Amino acid sequence: MHHAHIDKFAYQDSAIHRLDSRVKFLVVLVFTAVVISLPRSSLSILACYAIGPFAVLVWAGIPLKFVFKQILLVSPFVIVLALSCPLYDRTPVAVSFGPFSWQSSLGWLRCFVILGKFIVTMLALIGLVSTTRFSDLLAGLQKLGMPRLLTIQLGFLYRYIFVLIDRAHHILLARAGRKLRNLGFKTELKTAASMLGSLFIRSIDTAEHISIAMQARGFDGNWRTLSKLKVRRCDLFFVLTAAVFMSGLYFFVKPILQ
Amino acid sequence: MHMANELLSIPVAAGTLAIAAGSLGFICRKVRQVIAAEKLALMGILGAFVFAAQMVNFQLPAMPGTSGHMVGAVLLAIILGPHLAAIVISSVVIVQCLIFQDGGLLALGCNIINIGLVPSYLGYFLYKTITNGRFSSLKVYIGAMLASVIAMEAGAILVAIQATMSGVLAVPLSTFLITMIGVHFLVGFVEGLVTVTVLAYLQQLRPDIVADSLPGTVRLSKNAVLATLGILAVITGAGLSLLASDLPDGLEWSYAERLDEPGFETVVSNPDSRITAVDDFQSKYSLMPDYSARASKLGDVADGQADLGAGWTSFAGIVGSALTMAVIWLTAWMLRRKQAL
Repeated sequence: MHHAHIDKFAYQDSAIHRLDSRVKFLVVLVFTAVVISLPRSSLSILACYAIGPFAVLVWAGIPLKFVFKQILLVSPFVIVLALSCPLYDRTPVAVSFGPFSWQSSLGWLRCFVILGKFIVTMLALIGLVSTTRFSDLLAGLQKLGMPRLLTIQLGFLYRYIFVLIDRAHHILLARAGRKLRNLGFKTELKTAASMLGSLFIRSIDTAEHISIAMQARGFDGNWRTLSKLKVRRCDLFFVLTAAVFMSGLYFFVKPILQ
Repeated sequence: MHMANELLSIPVAAGTLAIAAGSLGFICRKVRQVIAAEKLALMGILGAFVFAAQMVNFQLPAMPGTSGHMVGAVLLAIILGPHLAAIVISSVVIVQCLIFQDGGLLALGCNIINIGLVPSYLGYFLYKTITNGRFSSLKVYIGAMLASVIAMEAGAILVAIQATMSGVLAVPLSTFLITMIGVHFLVGFVEGLVTVTVLAYLQQLRPDIVADSLPGTVRLSKNAVLATLGILAVITGAGLSLLASDLPDGLEWSYAERLDEPGFETVVSNPDSRITAVDDFQSKYSLMPDYSARASKLGDVADGQADLGAGWTSFAGIVGSALTMAVIWLTAWMLRRKQAL
């Protein structure tokens, strides 16, 4: 089943994978903020910023085909909105690129900058998610001050998401096997509601069984894990490199490109 | 509708992140004091249920080829109460961001507010207000329906407001709002229908689950659905005609006076005050009211460019409307695609 493999790369091993999850999370957060605050009319600086996450992804051994497929999958909303920019902002600008120069509009420029920022920040996010196990990320986030209830909630959610998606697949398959044509809205709605209802009931029953089993093993609402998060020397090195990369581009390369 | 990083400015992103984190922390503290340990597993699994439920799709009426799915915020709010529903849906949004990369890290605050917090609380509040008092099946129907539609619209309106406040997009707020409200109206309507039908199903099979929220039998009456469809048709029609009157057509543009270009001669001028009022209204709300060459920041603008603008305006009206339709079509296509995930 394809869903089970969506974060399979998080279970690989590389220098990037071994970095502390808090460090990675904060670096990606700062990186995203820096990229978003870049000017709205300069495309070339974005290309420079893309180098960072690209390097991380390549180093961690994440296949780029997977990365771009993932970006494409979540892009429709952004693409639609970005494409609306040329429609409303038609301030003509002269664009030059190497030996070529042509007339374009500020809207198109904005559109491409939005798409560029989208790709760069997505690269960074995928770089974080596909090199960090979700449980490590949760432990890190809890250390950073996320409420414990939310950590437990996210942990359970992550544990059962694929189980229930599998179950939904079975129900959908059963419907597809019986329903050979469009049944009209009323019947369709009724069928879907029964499917959702039975899925809901099964989820609640599963939850009951799990909580009985967990209480039998002494679960009292707190999660105790063996993992100890520790910031090591390579983590500091990673932070330093990232900081130099981001501030160097921001203070030295950006003024040149503008 | 997931907000993206790129459509936000740093202050808006930081503000919404702070609001979302603050309110989630507050809700978690509140809930933690009253919740039993055995409810923890239930909440987590209902979060997973929301994911699975979004895969269950069904054909929509009147639009062959499209199908809808449920979002589930209002259903959870009705069954679990608003606090737990808010935590469950927010956790779903966080997982969508961190595992499926849907919506960015900086936009997480916006998404938690738009998809998690506002629909849960607003939906619950509306449902409770309407179903207050003596139990009746119709009240449950109207309550769930209104809660779904309005909660969905509130989230959609917030998306438009946040994007406009950030100023990244060039789309005027009114156009953005009309598109978002139009699309989400249908989504909310379907959500409401599914919510009621699922509630009725649950009550038939497992009355113990919904005992607190539904003290009587829910029956989906055909007349109520037909009435809703009628209201929906009227509202959609009114909305469409409003949208249509907003779009300037080429002929009107050539009549109109152009304030941005004093040298432009109107072909026909009509001194009637009503006509001028309508014209004013139209120029205020038209899609491209100030289509003209503004001062450029980046390069030289040839003078001829501004004159060219006059000929392009009527064209822009037509192309603009066609593109707006394309935007709506693409949004629908996107919604379809999302549920195929």
